Amino acid sequence: MSIASLDLDLDVFTGPFDLLLTLVLREEIDLFELQLADVVLAYLDHLESCGQLDLESATEFIVLIAALLELKSRLLLCGDDEELLDIEPDEAAEELLARMLDARRYRAAATHLRELFDAEEGVRFRSAPLAAHLRRTTAEPTDGSQDPAVLGESIGRLLHMPAVISLRHILVPRVSVAERLTHLRGLLHRGRFTFDEAVTGADRMTVAVTVFALLELYRRGEARWDQAENFGDISVHAVSEPLRVAG
Amino acid sequence: MTDSAELAHTIEALLFLSPDPLSPRELGDAAQASEEEAAAALAQLLEEYAPGSRGLRLRELAGGYTFATDPASEDAARRLFSRPRAFTLTPAQAETLAIVAYLQPISRPEITRIRGVSADSASTLLLERGLIEEAGRSQFGAVLYRTGNLFLKLFGLRSLDDLPDVAQWDPTPEEQAELRERLLRAGEARARGGPVDEQA
Repeated sequence: MSIASLDLDLDVFTGPFDLLLTLVLREEIDLFELQLADVVLAYLDHLESCGQLDLESATEFIVLIAALLELKSRLLLCGDDEELLDIEPDEAAEELLARMLDARRYRAAATHLRELFDAEEGVRFRSAPLAAHLRRTTAEPTDGSQDPAVLGESIGRLLHMPAVISLRHILVPRVSVAERLTHLRGLLHRGRFTFDEAVTGADRMTVAVTVFALLELYRRGEARWDQAENFGDISVHAVSEPLRVAG
Repeated sequence: MTDSAELAHTIEALLFLSPDPLSPRELGDAAQASEEEAAAALAQLLEEYAPGSRGLRLRELAGGYTFATDPASEDAARRLFSRPRAFTLTPAQAETLAIVAYLQPISRPEITRIRGVSADSASTLLLERGLIEEAGRSQFGAVLYRTGNLFLKLFGLRSLDDLPDVAQWDPTPEEQAELRERLLRAGEARARGGPVDEQA
């Protein structure tokens, strides 16, 4: 199925994806109001329902959504910089010339400063600080100027533990590729393992990140895998280990 | 001993004690004399400490007066303290310092824009050596820099007004015209997408 006919049901628009694009480009739909994340979610749902990934259409989708994102981010920022990008060669040359003249001016000034600095070579100044008893002010506070009770109260407040803030409502699971890499390397260390073993009891996000970690291991030449049949067990083994037929 | 000679002695002693340059007002306040009397005493001391007459010189630097050694004693001082001059200036540091000196207060991004290359390491070193110091923040939150008294002292300047007008180093109109011409040719060639045509 082509990406153009992807059906969308969004707050501001219902219909196929290509129509949405046309309307956005004709400015009949305001990009400000369009939640691009919803479009992405709709696409992911669509992918899920298809059950297979068509690289061609996925690429097309990424290109289009990236273009929309760029358009939107440009809209969100003020549009002044477009004028800057679009200057004539002679304007650009004037600008550059002014900068070069500036740079030249201060390079010459720097030479002058170095001459001054060199002329002062061999001149030394008294660098010792005044003896403590000669200074007009001392750092010591007058006796009794600080109330011990105030200090006690301040420290007391620091010792009080604030209530723990609950993070339960935040749903974003934090799984890093680095974490999963360590996990996989640990398993590899013991020999071969199946992918299912590596993600026993893990949530979807962890499984996805583990796939990335596995690809990373493959890229670094640390691990290989084989899979006898579609949707079958994926058996992972270290590269140094001689390849055996799974099962 | 006359009053003025006594005042000159007092001021000489104060100058000896202070590690920082002292202004006639500060000296007068401390010696319980007017600023004018202090200035007159300083003039007398300046004469006594004229270059060549003593091992010390009285210098007007960084908004005040201070004693400095005669450079003639530098070799001996190095043997005694076995420490040469505190530091040298690299071209990048000198350029950064010049930009700060003339355009202060100025932020790092502005220095970088003028130099065309990053000024980060140079300005960090200048900061560490106390030649420049922080002077608040710009409206965009960038730290602003200015030169401090140490800069004036080490470069033999009484104040920033002692710096010559920066416009004196501007290129001549002919040089500017030539530079502009070259830039324009390069710009047009780039706009056409071709190499620079030397015949054009």
